[in-house]
Amino acid sequence: MYQYDAIDQQLVEERVAQFRDQTRRYLNQELSEQEFLPLRLQNGLYVQRYAPMLRIAIPYGMLSSAQLRKLADISCRYDRSYGHFSTRQNLQLNWPKIEDVPDILAELAEVQMHATQTSGNCIRNTTTDQYAGVISDEVVDPRPYCELIRQWSTFHPEFAFLPRKFKIAVNATESADRAAVQVHDIGLQIRKNDAGEIGFKVMVGGGLGRTPMVGVTISEFIPRVDLLTYLDAIIRVYNQQGRRDNKYKARIKILVKALGIEEFRSRVEAEWQHLRGKESTVPMSEFERLQGFFSEPNYETLENNPASLTNKLADSAGFARWFERNTFEHKKAGYRIVTLTLKKAGQAPGDATAEQMQKAANLADQFSFSELRVSHEQNLVLADVRQDQLVELWEAAKEAGFATPTLGLLTDMICCPGGDFCALANAKSIPIAAQIQETFNDLDYLYDLGNIDLNISGCMNACGHHHVGNIGILGVDKKGEEFYQISIGGASGHDASIGKILGPSFAQEEISSVIQKLMNVYVENRSEEERFIDTYRRVGITPFKEAAYAKAN
Amino acid sequence: MPKLIKNGEIIDNTYNWIQDVEQEVTPNSIIAAQKWLSEKNTISNVAGIWLEAGDGVEFLQDVDLNQFDVIGVHFPAFTDGRGFSYARLLRERLNYQGEIRALGNFIPDQLGYLLRVGFNSFQFNEEVNLEKALALHKPFSIAYQGDVTDPRPLFLRR
Repeated sequence: MYQYDAIDQQLVEERVAQFRDQTRRYLNQELSEQEFLPLRLQNGLYVQRYAPMLRIAIPYGMLSSAQLRKLADISCRYDRSYGHFSTRQNLQLNWPKIEDVPDILAELAEVQMHATQTSGNCIRNTTTDQYAGVISDEVVDPRPYCELIRQWSTFHPEFAFLPRKFKIAVNATESADRAAVQVHDIGLQIRKNDAGEIGFKVMVGGGLGRTPMVGVTISEFIPRVDLLTYLDAIIRVYNQQGRRDNKYKARIKILVKALGIEEFRSRVEAEWQHLRGKESTVPMSEFERLQGFFSEPNYETLENNPASLTNKLADSAGFARWFERNTFEHKKAGYRIVTLTLKKAGQAPGDATAEQMQKAANLADQFSFSELRVSHEQNLVLADVRQDQLVELWEAAKEAGFATPTLGLLTDMICCPGGDFCALANAKSIPIAAQIQETFNDLDYLYDLGNIDLNISGCMNACGHHHVGNIGILGVDKKGEEFYQISIGGASGHDASIGKILGPSFAQEEISSVIQKLMNVYVENRSEEERFIDTYRRVGITPFKEAAYAKAN
Repeated sequence: MPKLIKNGEIIDNTYNWIQDVEQEVTPNSIIAAQKWLSEKNTISNVAGIWLEAGDGVEFLQDVDLNQFDVIGVHFPAFTDGRGFSYARLLRERLNYQGEIRALGNFIPDQLGYLLRVGFNSFQFNEEVNLEKALALHKPFSIAYQGDVTDPRPLFLRR
């Protein structure tokens, strides 16, 4: 993974010093609440319902075991010994003290980490596929490009006060889109042109929130040398022309929609003509430098399907289940990608205790070259596990609560912190997740239902990505009471779509039974090999709606 | 006389930023760019013009900007970042060499970014302590991106 040089290190240390001074001036009342707000947000610090929340950046989800240990250690000494992995591959601490944050940042800087631009109306942490670099069908490893974007966007002097937050995601495979690039302000799909040159299909104006939209293609191919000038052009147009009168209409998607993609594209092109070929054009030497950080680890020469694996698969249904659901094909023979799920019943989705973080770090050291990734679905990934060590890893993962074999299934939910923590939320989301986990606890049934994305957000800000869940649950406030609106038919991959609202919202205690009714409709209507989303697309919303609102006999 | 920060020093403000379109124009005035453009044949000499957020810079592309000693950029709120692009475009696109002055509600913590996009003078609201503000002018000793002070990104300097 990327290693800081003296310059990168100096920058994060200067950022710590800057934020320490800002915090001191705020606490001395030299900086007003109003002035400190965007400054602290640009450093990931929110003031939440009960306490501040600090969002620590995990650039494109890459984490070393040493960094994860540091996060565990920080959560013990400055917080309540746990953290929450978010859908944008970051880690949130829910109970730090404002006056401790500069010290937390200083400790993060010791392990090349920071909280820069994890919030605020600026360019946020760039995200990508959690399987980057270890799958066989990617065009190229997207991580060097993510790092290029990270550096370009970090302390960008022109774009620190945009109309609204700005999120970029990168995907490098044609077969899947685990980074959900179509629901980002800018989605980059890496591809090669006919001449074999690497570049990007650029999508713009996707996003969730109050007005969910799937991004539209602004360019079919931008050569990689031109990436930064093209991004500068898009964001410069947005910075000047995006709406600033209404925060709910300030995302770039609203500008793109208002102008139409043709007009927006022509404005970006006009701007780009001035920038293209100038100093920000990326030289090949920089691509080579960045690629050097993501070279392959020292893989052994191994065979696929060693006897220790195949024997256990035959002997243990539990292991076979875990292998089928929670591991994924690796590009190297004899290796496998393993997801350590953070979706154990009784634990909020994406939460990890300090002890679990320590254990995950140990597993990474023992089984996966001391590196981990955080996934958009709020799990941890060990990318390089030897197949002949899978049984051993499974045993250890079970013991640590990481082996719930439900990856991609109904109970592998995405869930925001909701009203238990977040000041913005209309309703709690964690109890809904808990209710669903309790109700759908029969693994055979879950396996029979197959792949279903269920996403929960506690409010319209959509941090739980409910719009793009096959089933989406949204917390709403009805005269001071918490209700939940259910939508179905959303998807976040290459076939991204926004879910449709089923109808009037439901009370908290009704949710599981409604989900059960939706599952019944699916099971009755599905044809062989059809996923929930496929059946929905074929039969439409009506049968689901009728079942959900049918009066009891 | 009111003070401001210019080129890293605290000096007297000798110009008069005119926000009221009815106010009399003098050779020390900085007047609204739109007003100057529509009345330029009848208006007397001024020190410079100022841009309102929302103006953009394109409407000035045929004007010889170097006739002005100063171009102001107004920040209606410090969170309104349009002025960052305007200053950069004045320097890089329209090749304006003179003083670019930040006006309005920007705050001292923005000085580092403002300097990097081409501002060199800062007329703060009255309550700002200029000595303390000046101390915040360079939070970072190096930058990843190119900017007005050095167009080369770090990858050309590393």
